[in-house]
Amino acid sequence: MVANHNIDVLPLAAIGLILVILMVIMAPMVTTHANTAVDVPAAHTEERDVEEDIAVTLTKDGHLYLNDAEISPTDLVEKLKNELAKDPYKLTVIRGDKDVLHVDVLEILAACRKAGALRMACATRQDTSHVY
Amino acid sequence: MRGRRRREMPHREELIITSLVDIALCLVLGFMVSMPAFIESGIFVTSPSVSRGGAAGAQAAAPADDIKVNIFLADDGRIFLNEEAVTKDYLIKTLPALLARSADRKVIVGTDFNVIYDRVINVLDWAKQAGAGQLCLLRRARA
Repeated sequence: MVANHNIDVLPLAAIGLILVILMVIMAPMVTTHANTAVDVPAAHTEERDVEEDIAVTLTKDGHLYLNDAEISPTDLVEKLKNELAKDPYKLTVIRGDKDVLHVDVLEILAACRKAGALRMACATRQDTSHVY
Repeated sequence: MRGRRRREMPHREELIITSLVDIALCLVLGFMVSMPAFIESGIFVTSPSVSRGGAAGAQAAAPADDIKVNIFLADDGRIFLNEEAVTKDYLIKTLPALLARSADRKVIVGTDFNVIYDRVINVLDWAKQAGAGQLCLLRRARA
């Protein structure tokens, strides 16, 4: 009888925890458009926090993605312009594979400038090797 | 005997949440440790102009007597700091001192046409670690 008066918090806590963990995993996926698999270079510098962004991804085999949708390089400026029309200060992230040529990344950078982007960043992953 | 067993009953039905808390804490710790590896970060960059040969424009904006930090990466792996060939170690050692004396702490990075992106990001990383402010990526070959 005593047990009936207590609220069983175990399932509640379990569901709560699962929700928290799901949200922690989903939040960056929803906001950052970094879902196209690409091996970005490693760096110690971490300047960029998780925020809503426009992601331009250049894969190793030369495919170009804007916010995880494949596009042709000729459409890039036009589509970026549409994305940046509301807010030119929206962060434009260039996610280049570490093995692509730098000149190809510069082409994307130039396209971003042409489309009016004012904040641009090169995506990196955290380098866990020694810090000099 | 029967009386004693009844008295123990409520005690046996108590929740044991220690294991749940253990697992939850392990999960949280695991996430805290592994999240930085999954979440991408980034380095802010700018490009001085869309047209080729933008170096002149980039330098004109800075005060004329300011210390300039021009890094150039050649196809053959050499690194040039202000038109002088330097080693990687020398560059890492010199950059903080150079940038400390620079007013706008701007680093201009130019490359040859066949330089791999990873190398450029490494240089940008060194520059940022040395205290660089703005990083300019140039679209031009070395004169």
